[in-house]
Amino acid sequence: MKFILMMTGTKSDYDQYAKWSKEDLQRNVAFMRAFSKELKDSGVFVSTEGLAWPSEAKLVRSGKDGEPVTDGIFPESKEFLAGYWIIDVESPEQAYRIAARASAAPGAGGKPGGMPIEVRQVLHGHADLGL
Amino acid sequence: MKYILLMSGSKAGVESYLTWPQRDRDAHMAVLQTIGKELTASGEFVTTQGLAAPHEAKLVRGEKGGLPVTDGVFPESKEFLLGYWIVDVKTTERAYAIAGRISAAAGPGGEPTNMPIEVRAFATYAEAKS
Repeated sequence: MKFILMMTGTKSDYDQYAKWSKEDLQRNVAFMRAFSKELKDSGVFVSTEGLAWPSEAKLVRSGKDGEPVTDGIFPESKEFLAGYWIIDVESPEQAYRIAARASAAPGAGGKPGGMPIEVRQVLHGHADLGL
Repeated sequence: MKYILLMSGSKAGVESYLTWPQRDRDAHMAVLQTIGKELTASGEFVTTQGLAAPHEAKLVRGEKGGLPVTDGVFPESKEFLLGYWIVDVKTTERAYAIAGRISAAAGPGGEPTNMPIEVRAFATYAEAKS
């Protein structure tokens, strides 16, 4: 079963993150690298991506003439996707255990960040997009 | 340049989708499939995924012992990721144009859903490190 583990944050979460010391950032990045390697070594890794900062995010709708209409205005409470992992595991419980490890990634001062990780099952493409 | 096009919706949005007549849902999916095929033909397609329904979503945190604490309680306004496309395009404008086409996919009665598609770039290594 494939699951996606998503890290999200509001703009104010990003502002906090931008204030972390270099040491804290390096510790966090080192954890993320070791975590990905562990997922690869254990054979559950499918893919991972980190997204650029929310300041560059745009919402796009279709205009009447078929031209895209872009807008970069989001509510303060908007949760931006920061990054994700896709894993292929035997059970939801295994996905939750892995998500808990990601949640424990070191944050400011080296303490576990305790960030909530959203866990969702992934389907197989267009045919299933209809839920 | 790679971009991710994110389609999201609240639980209410998903419930409303489930009330669409089957032929409207089929027409909607047909447009999305056509867009997927066109992106494959133009060499811009990287990947696409659809996610399972929001009622199965869980939030997970780690306990002190490292054990997962799961919780399925979300605010009503929570925007759930429904699915995404990753495209590799020459310009940002091209990513917006593709997102606009997805937004224009037919909804109930064949009218465009006009749903907003969030377009995001990927972090580069330097950004992640700095």
